[in-house]
Amino acid sequence: MPLSLMYNVIRVSDSLVERMVAFVSRKSISNTEIAAPKVTGRTQRLTVFGPPLLLEGEDAAAYDQLLARLCAAVKPVDIIDEIFIGDVAALEWEVLKWRRLKWTLMQEDILKALKDFLVEQLESNYALHKKHFKRYLAELLRNNLPTEQADSAETLAAECAPHTDEANEKLDEVLGSIGLEMNTVLDNARAAKAKELVQEYVRGKQAAVTLVHKLLADAGVSMDTFMAKAFPYKIDNIERIDRLATVAESRRNAALREIDRRRAVLGETLRRSVQEIEDGEFELIEPTAANGKNAA
Amino acid sequence: MTSERKIRANRANARASTGPRTTRGRARAARNALRHALSLPVCSDPVLSEEVETLAREIAGPGANAETHELARQVAEAQIDLRRVRYARHQFLSDTLSKQYYDSLANIRRKEKVLDAILRRNPLDISMETLKFMTSTPQGPDKLATVLSGEAKKLLAMDRYERRALSRRKFAIRAFDAANRDRAG
Repeated sequence: MPLSLMYNVIRVSDSLVERMVAFVSRKSISNTEIAAPKVTGRTQRLTVFGPPLLLEGEDAAAYDQLLARLCAAVKPVDIIDEIFIGDVAALEWEVLKWRRLKWTLMQEDILKALKDFLVEQLESNYALHKKHFKRYLAELLRNNLPTEQADSAETLAAECAPHTDEANEKLDEVLGSIGLEMNTVLDNARAAKAKELVQEYVRGKQAAVTLVHKLLADAGVSMDTFMAKAFPYKIDNIERIDRLATVAESRRNAALREIDRRRAVLGETLRRSVQEIEDGEFELIEPTAANGKNAA
Repeated sequence: MTSERKIRANRANARASTGPRTTRGRARAARNALRHALSLPVCSDPVLSEEVETLAREIAGPGANAETHELARQVAEAQIDLRRVRYARHQFLSDTLSKQYYDSLANIRRKEKVLDAILRRNPLDISMETLKFMTSTPQGPDKLATVLSGEAKKLLAMDRYERRALSRRKFAIRAFDAANRDRAG
């Protein structure tokens, strides 16, 4: 029973980790999600241990929810249990924070490398961003052309976008009239398209994911290649964050073990009390002579 | 087993280690506890002391005897101490993160070198890339990672206080529980 309690709490805690990670990475959460229990009086009492220590930008409501769920799972019997629950919540929050930070740091460089790769691919394959360039150019012209010509921005963009010698000449002329360079505009457009593609890829938009995978396969690279390139520059930070997460995890587990130990003690005390009550209820009846005869 | 000779040597060495000897050294050591005040006992602060008593009463429960109350007070003291350490660490992290131009020491040194090289040039010639590097500071998750790395020593020192407070609290709670069990048994 004591061990099972601990595993239950760890299980609850792990499922919370998944949900929190899903929340942070904005994945959809399945319909089977359990509604968060309301904050009980006991949870409110936990405020005697001080306000939650959250950094700027951290979600206080999510922290309260974590605390409430832990309270509901452990069902504290006294203030010491509550102290441990407060600890588990704070440490679990820290574990999540460090994991999230590590993931973000790694992801940041990988996505930057992906963006650079996509810019290269777009440069060598204009067809990939022809439509985007037309839109980009139309907006640029609308914002920069004199008011009386702004209405013709769409038409001009359509004429300049095809990437033929004639169209390029016209594009150069139009951009020159508003003080812009064709190559800079093309570079910016490619960068904007690459950024858009990366964002869609992160969000898991099917078209973007398929295109990125195809481009990666064609170039003979994978996301792992980018990770391998980015990793050496971040290794120190990642190692440090890993250590912090490990310390928080071991302290969280120690708090869970203490809850478990106290439950065992409580269980033993209760068993002994029950035994004493039962012993008091019964009297030992000495066998009488008649009984002894019957028994013989 | 440690030999008698070793024990004698250890004792003699320990007697020689009496801390700083110069006036300056002694003055500096005297201020050690005031850096973040975490080494001072919680009971030296009247506000915290009151919080300890309140929490101890709650832990001991109504009608507790003197022994139970004393054990509960030890638990409360360790808990309040733990809260104080965690709060100090949190405050330190928050304050450092709120510094707009915070950067790691390594990066500041790199920038100093670049600046030195720029100032030696005649005429001054700064590329956009250099300018971007000189004016950039870590932001968002990078900033937090930089703070963790740049302030690792201070954070580690604070972590030691937290570890000690946790250990004190664990044993205080165990003693409290054991006394309760004995009384019940």
